[in-house]
Order: sequence, then structure tokens, then C-alpha cells
Amino acid sequence: MDIRDFPAPDDAPAPGACVKLERPEAGLVVLRLDPPHRKLPVLDAPMLRDLDDALNALAADSTLRALVITGRDPRSFAAGADVQSIAQVTDAAVVERLVHAVHRMFRTLERLPARTVCAAGGAVPGGAFELALSCDLILLSDDPGTRIGLPETKLGILPGWGGTHRLTRRVGVPTALDLILAGKLVDPKRAKRLGMVDRLTKPEFLERIACDLAMGRLPFKPHARGAKHWLVDRNPLARWVIGRTARKQLQARTNGHYPAPEIALEMILRAPGVSMLRAAELEASAVAPLAVSPVCKALVGIFFASEEAKKTARLPNGEQAAKLERGAVIGAGVMGGAIASLMAEKGVSTRLIDQAPEALDAAERAHRKAIAKKLAKRRTSRAAADHAIDSLDTSRGMRGLARCELVLEAVAERLEVKQAVFGAVAEQVSAEAILATNTSSLSVDAIAANLPHPERVVGLHFFNPVRAMPLVEVVRGAATSPDVLARTCALAVRLGKTPVVTADRPGFIVNRLLGPYLDEALRLAAGGAPVARIDAALLDFGMPMGPFRLLDEVGLDIARHAAASLHAAYGERMQPSDALERLPGADGDSRLGRKTKHGFYRFDDNPRADPELADDLAALVKQQDFAALSEERIAERLVLVMLNEAARLLHEGVVDSAGELDLATVFGMGFAPFRGGLLHHADAVGLERAVEQLRALAEEAAVIARAPGAAERFAPCELLRDMAERDSRFFPD
Amino acid sequence: MPSQPSRSLVIAAGLRTPWARAGGAFAGEDAGHLAARVMRELIARSGLDPAALDEVIVGCVGPSHDQANVARVAALRAGVPANVPSRTVGRNCASGIEAVTTAVTEILAGVGDTYLCTGVEVMSAYPLLQSRGMTKLFSNLMTAKSVGAKLSALATFRPSFLTPRVALLEGLRDPISGLLMGETAEVVARDFGITREQADAYAARSHHRARDARDSGRLAQEILPVLGLGAHPKASALEHDDGIRDEQSPQALAKLRPYFEKPDGIVTVGNACGITDGACALLITTEEKARALGLKPLARLRSWAWAGLDPARMGLGPVYAASRALADAGCSLADMGVVEINEAFAAQVLGCEAAFGSDRFAREQLNLPRALGELDMSRTNPNGGAIALGHPLGATGSRLLLTTALELAHGDHELGLASLCIGGGQGGAVVLERVAA
Repeated sequence: MDIRDFPAPDDAPAPGACVKLERPEAGLVVLRLDPPHRKLPVLDAPMLRDLDDALNALAADSTLRALVITGRDPRSFAAGADVQSIAQVTDAAVVERLVHAVHRMFRTLERLPARTVCAAGGAVPGGAFELALSCDLILLSDDPGTRIGLPETKLGILPGWGGTHRLTRRVGVPTALDLILAGKLVDPKRAKRLGMVDRLTKPEFLERIACDLAMGRLPFKPHARGAKHWLVDRNPLARWVIGRTARKQLQARTNGHYPAPEIALEMILRAPGVSMLRAAELEASAVAPLAVSPVCKALVGIFFASEEAKKTARLPNGEQAAKLERGAVIGAGVMGGAIASLMAEKGVSTRLIDQAPEALDAAERAHRKAIAKKLAKRRTSRAAADHAIDSLDTSRGMRGLARCELVLEAVAERLEVKQAVFGAVAEQVSAEAILATNTSSLSVDAIAANLPHPERVVGLHFFNPVRAMPLVEVVRGAATSPDVLARTCALAVRLGKTPVVTADRPGFIVNRLLGPYLDEALRLAAGGAPVARIDAALLDFGMPMGPFRLLDEVGLDIARHAAASLHAAYGERMQPSDALERLPGADGDSRLGRKTKHGFYRFDDNPRADPELADDLAALVKQQDFAALSEERIAERLVLVMLNEAARLLHEGVVDSAGELDLATVFGMGFAPFRGGLLHHADAVGLERAVEQLRALAEEAAVIARAPGAAERFAPCELLRDMAERDSRFFPD
Repeated sequence: MPSQPSRSLVIAAGLRTPWARAGGAFAGEDAGHLAARVMRELIARSGLDPAALDEVIVGCVGPSHDQANVARVAALRAGVPANVPSRTVGRNCASGIEAVTTAVTEILAGVGDTYLCTGVEVMSAYPLLQSRGMTKLFSNLMTAKSVGAKLSALATFRPSFLTPRVALLEGLRDPISGLLMGETAEVVARDFGITREQADAYAARSHHRARDARDSGRLAQEILPVLGLGAHPKASALEHDDGIRDEQSPQALAKLRPYFEKPDGIVTVGNACGITDGACALLITTEEKARALGLKPLARLRSWAWAGLDPARMGLGPVYAASRALADAGCSLADMGVVEINEAFAAQVLGCEAAFGSDRFAREQLNLPRALGELDMSRTNPNGGAIALGHPLGATGSRLLLTTALELAHGDHELGLASLCIGGGQGGAVVLERVAA
């Protein structure tokens, strides 16, 4: 089968339109990727078809001495394979044929007798990099916007257009493992250092230098692995050691839920001795089943949902919100300090305000430490680090806010405190300044109630630890203006977070789902299910940690407070169990989880060591109803109780779409990404079955007559019953 | 004839870091960063849009080698837009005042009307220099082409090359008179017969006044607590000037040995100012503009003057400069509710006291028929001075202005004099006037 036989999109241009061939001088051809139907060029079917035609013609051209492959301009090349089509493909055989066809094309390129130079810039991910790897030399634009790498494993596939093998040959096994398994894109300097590319140049010179290199006017020195090829890559002993470590690390990270990196790992270890013909076989037969697997679909779905979420940063008139220059954070606790630090790092000149000097000092120190760490890891430059440090100022008094464009409060979770803070802030700032609250349990509308211009009040709910958690909930109050909402989302995106917009309902999305989930785990423990088994069950399901580990991370006092406010808001179905009260010492302040080094687990002084379960958890047990519950049943139960609440939340319109809700579950609580999120998982289970199980659990709870609230939370909500009856899905294909 | 400025020029706002002993809380700082910290805070507190500044002027004696125009570095780090120019000015110990007098002169000339004027010094960062011999050796080594030439360059090495030159010490020696600053204070002490006991008593009083001003919260009015770069992981932000010795006594001071002239000199490390780091920023503009910005000016600059004198007696500089500034202001020393004379050395301040009150000095040195008047020591340096707080060269002038300006309101005075002596034989003085609310 030939590339020409693949289905082309409806807006596909005429054959030959996507690739432009220029002949600036005798013997030299500049091949330009310039598809008329794409603002952001991708290697889609029409592009591959035209590229194939062009390369075949060039292979037959005896006058060709040198070939330069480049993009539309020095800061744009191609965004790799077409992710949309990966999302749609369902037939493994089609994938396999496509991979073979592209391999054939890249082999043609590789075997051209002419010197081939790829001159790329901007984002050069995946397939675009694999195209570059098939050239004799890669020249990369040294521009702050340039990023290069092979992110395929992040989407549940592996670099199948020769990348797994060609990159390994180029940079060696250890570096290839790092790059492909983590799927991270790297900046030009790092790419050069690692040998991913051969030479850097300023974008303005890209094409000229590429032509000079191709025509031999500049020294042509492709990156060579040298002796390391034999000492490391083809040394069985070295490979055995490297493989063992890599497998261990990968297992720790993925828990065996992600086949793509595992397959890629084995393939990379063997890659140095494999011919490209054989490589085509290996990659094709590996990619084909992966690309049609539910894991890949789930990961691609999350990718699209997060891209979609970034669009919330557009103003109502469609324009990009202006870049925020000055902000302030009130409250220098762990959260406030970390948010201020992140803002400063991203170039917002930030004032951090607190009455407690120690808190300010601690926050400033933590900020400098975080920046110093980035500098030590060469993730930032000296000048950028200085700027980041200069961008955080601390103040003990509520002053100097006059020119702030956004003030975020992260003070104590008490309504009157928050109102007082915003009242004082409102006297200083302009009416356009955004007043954002990081509240997790109070109503944004209540906080805004007596303020002048309530349209500028919005919720901006970060998760702990701020730097690590990718989600923020942007809470739209009743009065919040669309403009303020968009500007707040734009800040979230700038801080590297994914914003999900929610209505002003208690617990918003993530905490509202975690409430019954964590409480149900406590009830199971009270009913005799061992804590170790419960945590193992959810870890195995694909959560990043079990519910009890999570409780320890959150802090038992915080969890208790959150549960109480959910109970107050939603009534009986959120009634907290009394299990936590039976945990010895948890009523004081010495056993609150990780922060006190003791909760359900005992934490070591070394933050990297795995904590051990406390030995007095038998005290939790009151009955033995769940002593024999299997891991599968435990996970099923905890997920169902969340699903029921999620359906309610969607039904109430707290969140606009099922996609955003799933995004919040994956990014906010680490809900198994390979399942695509809570509602995707529900679709996979089948809603009819989910409703049946919920009914059964509700009945069982009524029979056992546990603590109040047990039955209510399982009674399937209206939306679920409805959908089950109509046999519909959250994500119709 | 008095000559006063044609426009009402004011210090619209001011703020400083605490003064920190060198090698202490700000040991890891650089002048650009420390100045920027206090400038940013002053801009934020005043609500000023920094784009409205006509220029940023920074006084600094020894910026680090990578911040030759430290004003530019500090301004950009403080968030002042790139299109606002900035320059560094120098007049040794008076660089901080020089920044202000430069600005007001330009305002009067119609060049601009809003200036951010900062004084900064991070003496902790003063380097050790290679000796001349070593420098020559390195330069020969670098230009040597052959192995032989390299070896012969290396052969010129002498162990004495390893002795570093201390930039701080060399900076504190006046090259014309050949005297260290402390030695010029000894000259003044001998001229006026000032004794060790008088100097030590004065020094102890400076510490006590500073202690009381700190404890009453008076000094906190002008200070922004700062957590220095590279501070110890357990250190907290510095809130107060850390050179103040609460229990300093003449008895304890008497135990110190003379530092500059052994064994009979009177200047010891105890009755001299310390080596210090600090920064102080002032917003200088017209009264009209300050009010338009919604700021309540701290003080009006009524007059200012610079004067030159014998470098070997530089400590008397304030008297020369004050005589001119007072004449321009059309008032007398007795009119001054508060007088700040920088305490480079106790002996030098006491020398000024004597010179102010001396008819002979007035006739011979100031061309005046009689003395300027008795200096009321109860109103001189009422919050202590550099002996207790320290003397970060370029920043001191700015602090004197800020302290005097705030003291006008605090002590309910109409007029104040801020003055200092300047290494190399100069004096500077500014007469400040209280602005009606």
C-alpha cells in the first residue's frame, strides 16, 4: 500500500501544494514544508503524499548535489504527525501500513547521494524530528521558542517513523532512553549538548547557513558518537546495567499501566545493532496495536482536552488577554508563598503580603531556593534567575497595591477574614484589578458580596503542592465578568497550569469528588478492610497513590475541615464517617499526616523514602463487614461513589462539559490518565452496569445499616439513571 | 544675599534598607540588587508609575566591576521601564546627596521634574585585587606564544605577588595627602585639642541615641526589612540597623587601642564609623508634582552647597558647606531644629562642633566676621549616627536627608541641616524645610 491511498482530509489541497521546491543555485534544492491548508504545518496525509513525491523525484535527479529541508520560516517547521488522525484511527493494519510507507520514504531520503541538511526551528516534535533524523545533518534555530524531541510515549505510542532507532544511534542508548521515555521536548542548547542536532544558528541565518553547509562552503561535521558507540551502546554488559536501572525507574513511574514506554525501552536497548529495514518491521508492529489501544485514545483525549482548556484564556472578543505585569498575593502560607513564587518566576512582578515576618522570610527563602535549583540544573539562565528573584517582594503591611492588576488572597479559610482582606485591597487597587480568591471551601459570591465591583472577583483555586499540580479551578461567581474570567485563565496558562472553569458550588470539582471518595475509603477501613489493601487497590487501579496516602498528603485536619464543609453544603450523602476520630492521636495536632511525619503512615526524615504504614490502624476497625472485600471490589466502590457525584456535578452545570470534568480528575487528583478520566472510565464500564452496581451498593448499605449517609451516596443520581436508560454515553463517538 | 530655588523642590518619599555590618546580613548582596529592592518598594508604596520618571540617579562609590553604571542595573531590576535613562554619580562619601543635588539642579534647569535618587553601597562586595606584579605576570603569560616565552613569564613570579591589595583600604586612603581617612580625623583632633575621653563619650552617646530611636519605632519609619541574598538558611529578614550596641559605654570604649596612630592617637574602631552595606531611595520632585501624584512631601530642599578644603582635614567639610548653605537659605545655625553631621569619626564631629563655635576659624577659614554659632549637641544627630549605624559610603548621604526630613515632623521642627564630610577634602550640606500639610 502506498502513501497516496491514505484518506486525506476534506480541505486537502491539490497534490504537490504542500511542498515547495526551490533551486537557488545549481545542484542545490531547498524543500519547503508549506501546506496551504494548515496554519501550523503537520505531517498529515497530503503533506506525506507531497513529500514522498518530491523525494522520489529528487532521487531520480542526477544533478542534485545538496538538499535543504526547511519550514515556512525559521521559527516554524512542522508539528509532527497529525494527532487528530491518531485519535480517529481504529484499524491497526492501517497504522502498520502507514508506518511502513513513511519508513520507506525516510529511507529514500537517507539514501540520497546528495548531502541533506534539515534546517528546523520552532516546535520540532515527534514526526518532524524523525524527518530531521533521516537527514545527514540537523541545523536548529537557536531561538527561545524552539523545542525539539520525541513526545510520542506521552500519547501512548512510540516514535514509529524511525525515531526510536535513529535517535538511539545518534545520541546513544542512555540519552535516547531519557528523551523517549520522558517524552520531554528540550531547548536548542540542550539539544546541541546531547547531540540531538549538529549545529545551532540564529533564526535569521538558518537558511543561509543550511545552504552553505549543504554546498560544502562551511565545514560539514555531523555529530559522532565515537568510541562510546562500542563502549556503551554495543557493550552487552553496559546495556544490561542501563536496562535494569531504566526498567526499575519506569516501573516506579508507571506502575505497569503504560505499555508504550515499556516497549520503547526494550526497543531502544537493542536499537544500536538493528538495520533500518528491520527497524521498520519492529516499529510498525509495535506502534500499530498501541495506536488503536484505549490507552492511546485516552491520552490523546486528555491532550486535546488540555489544549481546549487553554482557549479559556481568550477574551470574549477573541483576542489574547494582555500580559499581567504586576500582581500581589495576600497570605504567605505554604500555598500563598508557592503561588507568589511561581508568579514571580513567570515574570509577574509580585508583592507577597503577610503580617507574619517569619512566613514572608520562609516564602522568600523557598522562592530563592527553587530558582537556585533551576539554575543549578541549567533550566534557566543567570539573568532570568536574577529577574525571577527580583520579581518577588515581600511586605508586612497591606500597602503598595495601587498598581497591581491582580490580587490573590490565600489567607485563612474564614469568610470574614477574606472579606476584610478584599475590602482593604479594594480601597487601594483600581476597579479593573482582578480580586482572586484561592478559597477551597468558601463561596466566591459570599466573598464578593459587599465589595464594590463584584464583577472583578473570581476564584483561582490552586492545588498543593502548587509547583507540581497541573490543575487550577477557575471559579466563576454569579457576578464574575467574562473578561475577568478570561484574564484569570490566561494567568493560569502562563503559570503553566491547565485551567478548568467551574461554577461557585461548594468543593468546586476536585474536592467535591475527593470528599466522598476519601470518606468511603475510611468507611471501608472501619468495616474491616485493611488500609494496606485499600491503598494497593487504588494504586493498582491507576491512581498515583492510595486514598490513605492521599489523606496524609492533604493533612488530616484539612481533610476533616473539607469533609465538614461538604457535609454542611450537600447534606446526608456527604456525612463524614467517624473512622478518623478513632485514629489514636488524630484529634490533637501531632498526627496530621505528612506535615507531622505521622498519619496513617509514618514518614521518614528523608522525603524520598517510602513511608511505612502505622502499626496501630486496627483501632479504626469497628465492624467486619468489609474484611473480605477484594481489591477489585474496593477500587470499583470508591470509583463509583465518585462517579455518582461527578454526574450530579455535571447535571447541575458546575462544569460546562464532561471533557473538562475528566481533565479536572486527571490533572487535579491524578485519576488514572490511561483511563482518560473519570467519565471516560464510566463510559468504558458502561453506564447501565455502573447504575446497577450503585443500586446494589445502596441496598447493601441499607441492609448493613452503617453510619448515616452510606446509602444516599450510592443511590444513582438522576442523570446517571437517565443516561443508563437511554443507553447513552458521556462521550458519544 | 540669600538665594533660594525658584521652585519648591521636595523629597516626596523615601525609604532605606537597614544598615548592615559588612560581611553580615547583606554579605551576598550586590549594589544593583540591594538598591533595586528598596527602589521597587518605594515605587510600589508611592503608587508612582515609573514611566513618569525623568531619570534614575544613583550615588555609589564602588559599584562592582560588572555594574559600572549601577544605576542602570538597579533601575531595570526595580521595574523602571527601559526608556527611562539612568546614571551613576560619585562624590565619594556624599554620592547619595550628589544624586539629589544633581536632580534638583536639573529640575531648576527645566530638564525634568521627577527623579528617583538612590544611594547605595555594598562594601561587603569590595574585592581583593591582584598585585601589580601578578597582573603583569598574567598579562605576559596570556600574550606569550611559545612555551619558552610562557616559562620566562612564569619565571618572573615572586612570592610577594601573592599579597592581595585590599580595595577597601586603598579606597579609604586619600592619595593627595597620603593619609587614611582615620588619620585625617587625628589631624582634626590635634587641631582642636579633642581628647580620647571626649571622643569615646560621644561614640557611646551615638549608640544610646540610636538604640532609643530604634526602640521607640522612630527608625522603623524609614526602614524596609530586607532578607539579604545568600542569607543563612535560618536567618530572618534584617529589620534594624545591626551596628547598634545597646550597652556601649565609654569605659568599654576606653579599652580599645588607637587604630590609625599608635600609641597616642585617639581614633579607635570604637569611635569611628563601621564598614557597612545599605541602600536608600528618595523620590525627588516639585511640590506641585508630588501633590498631583497624591504624595505628601516629607521636606522641601531650601538650599544646598558643596565646599572644598584641605584634604588632610576633610572631616571639617560640614562646617564649610553649612556656612554656604545657611547663607543661601538666609538663616542661621540656631534656626536649625535638627542638625545631621555624618559621624565618620567622633573626633571629626567634635572638631566640627569646635569649628562652628570658633570666631577664629570663621575669620580664617570661612571669611566670616564671627563664628556660625554654637552647635547644640542635643539637637545634633538626635537618632545617633554612623558610629552606631555604620557608613555605607554612597548611601549615607541619602540616609542623612531622609532622617533629617522625617525628623522635622517627628520633632516638630521647621528647619533642618543635613551635612557630611567627604574623603578628598570636601563638605556637603543641605537645608531642609518642613512642608505644610
